[in-house]
Amino acid sequence: MASSTLAIQPPAPISGSLAVFSRLRRSSLMIMAGTGLMVLYLLYTFISFDLWHLISRSQPQRAVLLATDAVAHKVHITKNIRGAGRLSIAVEGERTATYETPPGWVTVSDDLTRVDLAQGYRVDIYDTHVIFQIPDIGPVHVRITDAGIKTTLPKGVDPPDWLRATSAKFDARPTLGRRVQVSKARIEVHRYFMGWENFFFPFRSELTAYSPGQLFALAFSDQRIDPDMPNWRLMFTTFWKNPGWQHKQVFVALLETFLMAILGTLTAALVGLPLAVLAAANFTPAQALRFVVRRVFDFLRGIDMLIWSLIFIRAFGLGPLTGALAIAFTDTGSLGKLFSEALEGVNNKQMEGVHATGANRLQFYRFGVIPQIIPVFVSQTLYYLEANVRSATIIGALGAGGIGLMLVEAMNTQRHWENVFYLILLTISLVMVMDTVSAKVRSRLIHGRSGT
Amino acid sequence: MKIADLTKTFGKITAVDAVSFSIDQPQMIGVIGPSGAGKSTLLRMINRLTDATRGSIQINDREILQLSGREKRRWQRDCAMIFQQFNLVPRLNVVTNVLMGRLNGHSTLKSLFSIFGRHMVDEALAALDRLGIADQALQRAETLSGGQQQRVAIARALMQQPKMVLADEPIASLDPLSAEKVMTALREIRDRDNLTVLCNLHTLDTARTYCDRVIGMLQGSIVFDDVPSKLTPSVVRDIYGADQELNESVTSTSIPGPVFIPEPMRIRKPALA
Amino acid sequence: MSLYAIQTEIMAMEKKRRLYSMAGIVLIAAVLISGYGLANDLNSGGFLTGMQQFFDYPSEIVKEAWAAGFSFFLVMGRFVPALVETLNIAGAASIVGGTLAVVLAFLGSANLGVKPPVVVTIVRRIMDIMRAFPELIIALFLIFILGSSPVPAMIAVAIHTAGALGKLFSEVNENADADPVEGLASCGATWLQRMRYGVLPQVLPNYLSYFMLRFEINVRASAILGFVGAGGIGMELRRTIGWGKGAGDETAALFMLLILSIFVIDQLSSFIRRRLVTGRDPE
Repeated sequence: MASSTLAIQPPAPISGSLAVFSRLRRSSLMIMAGTGLMVLYLLYTFISFDLWHLISRSQPQRAVLLATDAVAHKVHITKNIRGAGRLSIAVEGERTATYETPPGWVTVSDDLTRVDLAQGYRVDIYDTHVIFQIPDIGPVHVRITDAGIKTTLPKGVDPPDWLRATSAKFDARPTLGRRVQVSKARIEVHRYFMGWENFFFPFRSELTAYSPGQLFALAFSDQRIDPDMPNWRLMFTTFWKNPGWQHKQVFVALLETFLMAILGTLTAALVGLPLAVLAAANFTPAQALRFVVRRVFDFLRGIDMLIWSLIFIRAFGLGPLTGALAIAFTDTGSLGKLFSEALEGVNNKQMEGVHATGANRLQFYRFGVIPQIIPVFVSQTLYYLEANVRSATIIGALGAGGIGLMLVEAMNTQRHWENVFYLILLTISLVMVMDTVSAKVRSRLIHGRSGT
Repeated sequence: MKIADLTKTFGKITAVDAVSFSIDQPQMIGVIGPSGAGKSTLLRMINRLTDATRGSIQINDREILQLSGREKRRWQRDCAMIFQQFNLVPRLNVVTNVLMGRLNGHSTLKSLFSIFGRHMVDEALAALDRLGIADQALQRAETLSGGQQQRVAIARALMQQPKMVLADEPIASLDPLSAEKVMTALREIRDRDNLTVLCNLHTLDTARTYCDRVIGMLQGSIVFDDVPSKLTPSVVRDIYGADQELNESVTSTSIPGPVFIPEPMRIRKPALA
Repeated sequence: MSLYAIQTEIMAMEKKRRLYSMAGIVLIAAVLISGYGLANDLNSGGFLTGMQQFFDYPSEIVKEAWAAGFSFFLVMGRFVPALVETLNIAGAASIVGGTLAVVLAFLGSANLGVKPPVVVTIVRRIMDIMRAFPELIIALFLIFILGSSPVPAMIAVAIHTAGALGKLFSEVNENADADPVEGLASCGATWLQRMRYGVLPQVLPNYLSYFMLRFEINVRASAILGFVGAGGIGMELRRTIGWGKGAGDETAALFMLLILSIFVIDQLSSFIRRRLVTGRDPE
């Protein structure tokens, strides 16, 4: 092996060496300046968005709340002090989901209601006196008096941060799944359970009591629960009209969103293609006509989907037709422009070949042009279809209806987060299914048809 | 440098089959053999671009095949490699391409922003000047001719301050005149810098003209290892096979210079080409 | 195979292909007809009544804008800050998302020697999920937690951008020439250095072209997200439209600003992209 390292002579003074060096230096400075500008711009936007203030007043507990509610449900045990002093036990506090007889973990006697919150947590409710048993802390006494709410902690215990006790209200949530609230008007205990409540059948339905196996057997049984219809139909109807989850309305909303996307995209593609021929220089010799069609494309694209949607919502009201037309108008411009660019890029030799065979105008398009344009046409249309499923949810939220609007409304009520979560899941599934199907079709059509 | 039992298999195909040889002093070695004989794989294994299946490469009692991470990259810098297709970055200018030879050891941050010191730039220009292409320093590599690009690649190799140079078919894509310039430059690395140059060649006359030693390979094994003068027609027939009648001059890149008058010879081009 | 057999096979294939095309056309026609029928039924206002009212609203706001006279331009000026906010949402989202996309694209390309190879698969799945998440959902969720502000929209658009651009970028990466990368590997360059010098110079023009296209899309998305509470021009639009009659000149001014800025950005982006394409390899 050679022992010497390579002898490149100590930097000899080469003419222009400084020039080369400063050129390199300049381009590296350009890279740094570019990066720096980007960072500065981000800083500026964050300051103008008031990011720090935003973080400080963000409410991360809302995310926790949403996450808990999305996968769990709670049972309210409510005792109204005023009025009859009636006790009610209901899923999510819904009147329609009230227990007739208390579940096993609640025992009711004349003067005492005992709620077992598991793992050593327990709430005893006497008339206006609540004893909250908490492991490691001991009993917390809460009394409703004329002077206000009086809270007594065991001796030597500092109030923990999950407990708020004022004279107006007592609120303790030692764990995510247990909560006790006492005000002058009512005593309320929440216990959480995993899962979505009454997803398939409403609380009151006799079907709720059955296990999946039993339901399966029941569906094909001849012994009718409801004499008017077979069991499977009863089961479907009960499920379909479940008031808590509104499966029918959700399905219709999904269908509406899907319709907006597919009708809008197909219309845009089918209208865009003939217009694209008029806008392509190698097909339409009339420059004035080309100019007009191109400006039409620019106009349709330039107005933007937001504005089209608002105009169509005004004219057509709520519904899938509105969304479909808004999408169709915007994307006729986009697809038309893309198609006309693709048409201008077609191979002339192939077209001349077809011309030379003495083909008529229709045959000329069929064999000389269509085979070249079809991959672009199909793949771009499918690509826009994917994007438009997402757009359709947003247009829906603007007021055109569909799953987007349903989602916004569900979020605005800020109550049934499990419903919101369900809608989110459905929307994402719809988008992902469309993405997958479109990707499959695209690769099939493009690879399967190459060379034809 | 001692290579022993070096083997590479791709699935069921054995590309390099238990190759052993050693290099005791700086010399220019030509590796010849038909396409598919395993010449490229041998060089790539030495540079560690390809992992060997088995065997050893030892230099001063250091096992090259065991190196990994930083040490492996350091070794790659020490044994510069030149490729048939030059493997430059086409969109970067020539001098930056040469500076790439010193990326090993250059800090990540400086690399990201393309910061190179004055002395490094001067070194790169010196290397380019030595190969006669300093004037093109600021042109994009892709605008240069093939021969010029290969010389840029050699300048990059010099920039690496290597301990040996590997060249994988350096002149196979070049016209005769450029090929001569490139081979002269490689020979100069052997003579002036006193380094070992291990060079895959597809033409016999080039090997005879420029090399101190020739290794002949056939189907992954070494079938000849001696000075070029021992490369008799019968040996050549052994290496290239004797099925087809072919004049050596047809396959050779005829280089003006020390004239070698070829005898008619049979050269078989295997189907693997 | 005899010539005759080949011929019959080709004929059969041609027939099959024609059958597929016909079936496709029939299917599309059926989807369109039944779809529009269904959509018309589900819509609260039918197609015919809608068509009659179509020009009512635009002409109403145009009239009000006309009545406002010169002060219309003052109204437009008043909304420039909202426009800037929308542009900033799009700009910041494009930069944050684009940077993330570059990282994801390099980790998600099969040909760049990412180790272990399972990273490529995971990163690709991550990009798919980021792309699939509708911006609306992320924006609504973040508005709920962070409150009404441009930041939720920015994050939502950035996430989508990272997924969408990441996929396009990695496709560009996978078409890159491997020789320069190998050349750098033979010099002992690290993975990062190989990517920086071996791949990036090759793919950068395509990256920039896709980035410009995405920025334009993001401006539109930012405007629309404003409508659900993310600030900027969309939020102003919701306010003026909510007022109903009387705010027509303001609505018209907002429309005008949005259309103008989209037009300018569209022109700019296609100009830059054209330059990038023509400035490429002379070969």
